[in-house]
Amino acid sequence: MPKNHALRILIATVRVPFVNGGAEILAEGLRRVLIEAGHRAEIVAIPFKWYPPERILDQMLACRLLDLSETFEVPVDRLIGLKFPAYMIPHQRKVIWMLHQHRQAYDLWQHPLSDLHTYANGSEVRAAIHRADTELIPQAQGIFTISRNVALRMKSHCGVNAIPLYHPPQDAALFYTRPAENFLYFPSRINPLKRQELVLQALAQTRAPVRVYFSGSATEAAFERKCITLAQKGGCADRVQWLGSVSEEQKRDLYARSLGVLFPPVDEDYGYVTLEGMLAQKPVITCTDSGGPLEFVVDQRTGVIAEPKPEALAAAMDRLWGDRERARQWGEAGRQRYDDLHIHWDNVLEKLLQ
Amino acid sequence: MKIVVATSSVPFIRGGAEILADNLRDALSAAGHEAELVSIPFKHYPPERIPEHILACRLVDLTETCGVRIDRVIGLKFPAYLIPHPNKVIWLLHQHRTAYELWSHPRAGDLIQGPDGPVIRDAIRQADRELIPEAKAIYTLSENVSGRLRRYSGIDSKPLYNPPAHERLFYCGPAGDYLFFPSRITGVKRQWLAIRALAQCRERVRIRFAGDPDNPMQQEECVNIARELKLSDRIAWLGMVSEEQKRDLYAKCRGVIFPPVDEDYGYVTLEAMLSSKPVITCADSGGPLEFVMDHQTGLVAHPTPESLAQAMDALWADRRSAAAMGEAGRARYRDLNISWPNVVEKLLC
Repeated sequence: MPKNHALRILIATVRVPFVNGGAEILAEGLRRVLIEAGHRAEIVAIPFKWYPPERILDQMLACRLLDLSETFEVPVDRLIGLKFPAYMIPHQRKVIWMLHQHRQAYDLWQHPLSDLHTYANGSEVRAAIHRADTELIPQAQGIFTISRNVALRMKSHCGVNAIPLYHPPQDAALFYTRPAENFLYFPSRINPLKRQELVLQALAQTRAPVRVYFSGSATEAAFERKCITLAQKGGCADRVQWLGSVSEEQKRDLYARSLGVLFPPVDEDYGYVTLEGMLAQKPVITCTDSGGPLEFVVDQRTGVIAEPKPEALAAAMDRLWGDRERARQWGEAGRQRYDDLHIHWDNVLEKLLQ
Repeated sequence: MKIVVATSSVPFIRGGAEILADNLRDALSAAGHEAELVSIPFKHYPPERIPEHILACRLVDLTETCGVRIDRVIGLKFPAYLIPHPNKVIWLLHQHRTAYELWSHPRAGDLIQGPDGPVIRDAIRQADRELIPEAKAIYTLSENVSGRLRRYSGIDSKPLYNPPAHERLFYCGPAGDYLFFPSRITGVKRQWLAIRALAQCRERVRIRFAGDPDNPMQQEECVNIARELKLSDRIAWLGMVSEEQKRDLYAKCRGVIFPPVDEDYGYVTLEAMLSSKPVITCADSGGPLEFVMDHQTGLVAHPTPESLAQAMDALWADRRSAAAMGEAGRARYRDLNISWPNVVEKLLC
């Protein structure tokens, strides 16, 4: 294919109305770079509602009924499927760049934060999702995932091989570093899966007077209250700051001035926070069960990988706090590692369009 | 209120319906609501795709999002207006026209050409007849669309006019030496008719076309007609122009040509009126006829090259009358009281 040949590309995803999260930012970022590369690109976003479970089957069927092969007899040259069930939309030249499967039917089945298993028809719907994924995902010409973690899950649950394809965080070029001040930074939605709770429990056990700044909006008011109470009970409320939702500029400034970054989520798909920490030359503390971050953090070289227990996490935090020079070196090594990984949109486009 | 505007769209095509959907969302937000657009992709061929897309829309669930109720769905285009919702209002842009008034149209009719065309047509008509009345209220884009809905589906509705985007930014400049024809380049807009008329004009009328073709073939067809008729030097193809350029082209034209086949509504008419320019349209153009008053704010011709040529000559020859008709058009727009707050109030009541 000639290098400057402009393609007509559709990005197929689903969207829960009124919710704007990482997946929406990724779809928009992908669209923008495709256009910058001289292609015509649009996002097709099918609305999605995952309850009651039979709705999931309806929406899988709806996606299968759509026809994105061409528009007014002009072919759509490529369909890039991102989210379940939109990646099931049929197309003769489809590649899937899987953000994640419907996790409640897989790794989060029977997880305390899931609801699919609580319905009478939950198992049945789960089986239908497995069957559809197993049969339909391999119809794509290329199967990529946003991380090795997502690829491994797909391999173990569906027996489908996929290639991880990393992409940079939004505005990657704008991150910078500053001399470390006296706080660790934990940017994330305040949400049980991100485990702010675990960090607060750890903070109560640190030897050094470690301070943590949290930013991000709370998706569940009850969980936020629980966290605040926990900080008070642990006697570390004065070492914690809740910054709420911050601007992109503020976020980059907080990264730049932090001593290190805390990011111990439960089995994250990918996790921009790790990469942003590395871009800001900061060491990252994560946990052995955190998923995506483990593909980037090298234990004792660019950060610390701790057991997901308060004592272990407290020890990791103390370690960074106690040796600032080492923290600085690990941060630099993290930045070096980011550069060595060649995480560029150019590379993503080349793979998705080959 | 949490409001979803539900529409269908053909990827890579941006026309009046897409602009309207965006403007409606913005008007709802401006009125203090949380409004979001849901757009289901649509492909109308082969014909069996149409019932599949109807089904796909019926399978979409917009009742709530993350446990929070969606207070209202406003359905615009076929088949997205068939998405079920307990608090749905339809503001019908148009039905699937080749199942109705364009069924046997010589250029536009497509369903009629397939062996299963009649079956699909009947399925579409049945879905509309049975499912449109699920809505709490039914509005349409124009009297023209209401008339069709009454005639073919036996359903009553009220026309609800909306202003073109950026209506305040249109202005009038001194009339130059061209007629302006802004539209997507496609059969039903009848650029080809304007070119054939041009061949019959006595005056050295010039036309500037702005707009992208739905399919490159369609522009090529028009360019070829112009070449065969040796008119290429009196025609300019401007392609897609920016909004600023478009307003400038309106402001400096002598008049606007807008002779589509049975248009649903037609922003072009209103934009010309906002620019104080006379509009030439045709007796079968639909929507524009609700606005253009023959010999007062423009000219209504027969859809033949001869008749259209006469109208073009008339505007070209008499600048003063053209300017007067343009001003009368501007006054008529004002009198019609077309505004977004009015649209929002009706759709949410």
